[in-house]
Amino acid sequence: MTRKRFVILSLVPAIGLLATLAVVSIAGAVWFALMNRTLRSPDYDFVGAYNFLRLLRDHRFFNALEISAIWELVTVTGTLVVAVLLAVLIFETVKKPLWRNLISFAFLVPVLLPRVAAAFIWRFLYSPSLGAINYLLSLVGIGPVEFLADPSLALVSVAIVDIWQWGLFFTVILLKLMETLPRDPIEAAKLDNARTWEIHAYITLPMLKGPLISLALVKAVESLRSFDLIFVMTGGGPGTATETLDLYAYQMGINMGGRISYASAMSILLLIVTTVAFTIIWKAGKKWAN
Amino acid sequence: MAHIHCTDIVKSYGAHPVISGLNLDIPNHEFVVFLGPSGCGKSTMLRMIAGLEEVSGGRIEIGGTDVTDLPPGERGVAMVFQSYALYPHMSVADNITFGLRRQGVSKAEIAPRLKQVAEVLGLEQFLDRRPKNLSGGQQQRVAMARAMIKTPKVFLFDEPLSNLDAKLREKLRTEIRRMHLKLKTTTIFVTHDQLEAMTIADRIVLMRDGMIEQMGTPDEIFERPASRFVADFIGTPAMNFVTATLEAGLIARSGSIKLQLSEAEFPSLNPGQEVELGLRPARMDLCAPGSANALTGEVVLVENMGAEGQVITEVDGAEISFVTQGFRDLSIGDTVHFTIRPEHIHVFDPKTGRSLRKD
Ligand SMILES: Nc1ncnc2c1ncn2[C@@H]1O[C@H](COP(=O)(O)OP(=O)(O)OP(=O)(O)O)[C@@H](O)[C@H]1O
Ligand SMILES: [Mg+2]
Repeated sequence: MTRKRFVILSLVPAIGLLATLAVVSIAGAVWFALMNRTLRSPDYDFVGAYNFLRLLRDHRFFNALEISAIWELVTVTGTLVVAVLLAVLIFETVKKPLWRNLISFAFLVPVLLPRVAAAFIWRFLYSPSLGAINYLLSLVGIGPVEFLADPSLALVSVAIVDIWQWGLFFTVILLKLMETLPRDPIEAAKLDNARTWEIHAYITLPMLKGPLISLALVKAVESLRSFDLIFVMTGGGPGTATETLDLYAYQMGINMGGRISYASAMSILLLIVTTVAFTIIWKAGKKWAN
Repeated sequence: MAHIHCTDIVKSYGAHPVISGLNLDIPNHEFVVFLGPSGCGKSTMLRMIAGLEEVSGGRIEIGGTDVTDLPPGERGVAMVFQSYALYPHMSVADNITFGLRRQGVSKAEIAPRLKQVAEVLGLEQFLDRRPKNLSGGQQQRVAMARAMIKTPKVFLFDEPLSNLDAKLREKLRTEIRRMHLKLKTTTIFVTHDQLEAMTIADRIVLMRDGMIEQMGTPDEIFERPASRFVADFIGTPAMNFVTATLEAGLIARSGSIKLQLSEAEFPSLNPGQEVELGLRPARMDLCAPGSANALTGEVVLVENMGAEGQVITEVDGAEISFVTQGFRDLSIGDTVHFTIRPEHIHVFDPKTGRSLRKD
């Protein structure tokens, strides 16, 4: 009984604060979404569901939705795949603790960079005329490649920066997790004739299933907030090739149109879509983990 | 099935030597126990034979093949770990068959082998469970099943029973022994429990600081310890040691103690020589005053062990204990007489600690 009361007492302030903040801002957004406000004029009317109905006929909105989905998929899988491969590689090849710590430290640097800084560094690296990558490509007779200006490459090129930052960070986390695993099952697997990749595929990674799912969720949430990275690198372009929902909302609400109400309606939809999507993913992840 | 042949094995971690020049021969079908105090290198030796630890020097042969440079999976050994080392996320059945599946054995062949092994170890009703939903003893059986199903050339056990309670330990010990009688697979079993070693072994390898102190059958180790260390390590209650001087006629004297030694066992002893006598408590018993080889002491403590009791006495200011069934009539402060037969007295060189018994 006292334990239950303690739990409630310690949860109430935080949840109360969060709920207040969330309710106020969501209510504000809903309020705006029901009007036709713009930044240009002070006049406005209530228009009901008009903004939402328009969204459903807005091709650019659906394009942004698609780009957002692709962005999530590519960055989350890319980050995890890179992290798993690198962590296993380091775990198997680098045995000295000193070297491991140095590598871990180096791998932490990218994620410590502010997004905007990382974006500028890579914009420079990707540059067709000055960039180091195109210089290297020119040595083998390729290029110059327009990484950020080519619609078919732009999204992947930006995703690589994201994966560079987070994949290396997750590599460090995974490596440390692998070091905490009991040694005996791994040795038993060696005696059971398992090759190195089989040991990781069948023993170590399944033992880390829980943490891997958590990492995937953290990254999925984080990927939703890549506005700064994409904005600095491509601004959503070329055309709308890298325009995610948050970029489109920004363009609509602040940059070009100043159509705050329309942008608000968009963010409400975004909120609903992500809540539903994450609930499904969370449930599926939990089921799979058992 | 195979014999094991270890030549000049050296192992060191950095500058710290753990095994120094160990030679070991284990014939086919034998059940050998590595016994020794904690940290003497038993696990290290076993892990080197398994291939989980590299040797710093020397060669290891299993069944006539030099396996020193082979990875663990190709040595044909199966190991049971102290921690069981089950794969936590797999069912019992998957745990047991993991090795066979890695070898590419077909499903059709695996199924009957799994069934048979599960039957032998009484695991049929647990096959779908996860290891964490099993008791310690059941987990241990799964670990044994996982080793057995591979029909290895050699079984290696590293203190497999030390996490279990005494009753279960005794039961599984018997099962392991029975399994060996049936399968006849060469087995190395590590323990630091001397009773476990005595009951289960064909031969005991008694180790100390990375060297073999003595190798022999349990009887040899118990009755003919090669050194004071072995004599002290084996047997409960522990052996009494008395420093004595030899007199003519193979009499050892130390204060009031005067013991006749066996001419047949110790032909090379000379009068005047300093020796250390080893007297096993279990080999002594009460006697009438004035009997041959009698010791006289004052009872300090009586420990009831059930059928027998250990009586600790003070003889010339030093404590000597013996075991007797007649302990119930004794009380603290009594004067007691007890005796030991000459052939049960061990004699050691006080400097080297080696036994002075003829070979
Ligand atoms: N990885 C290691 N690095 C350094 N020293 C080690 C390592 N592994 C073992 N040792 C040392 O080697 C010696 C022998 O260890 P080992 O585990 O073989 O002992 P053991 O006989 O199995 O003891 P126990 O009965 O306690 O299990 C110990 O002194 C131990 O400190
Ligand atoms: Mg050990």
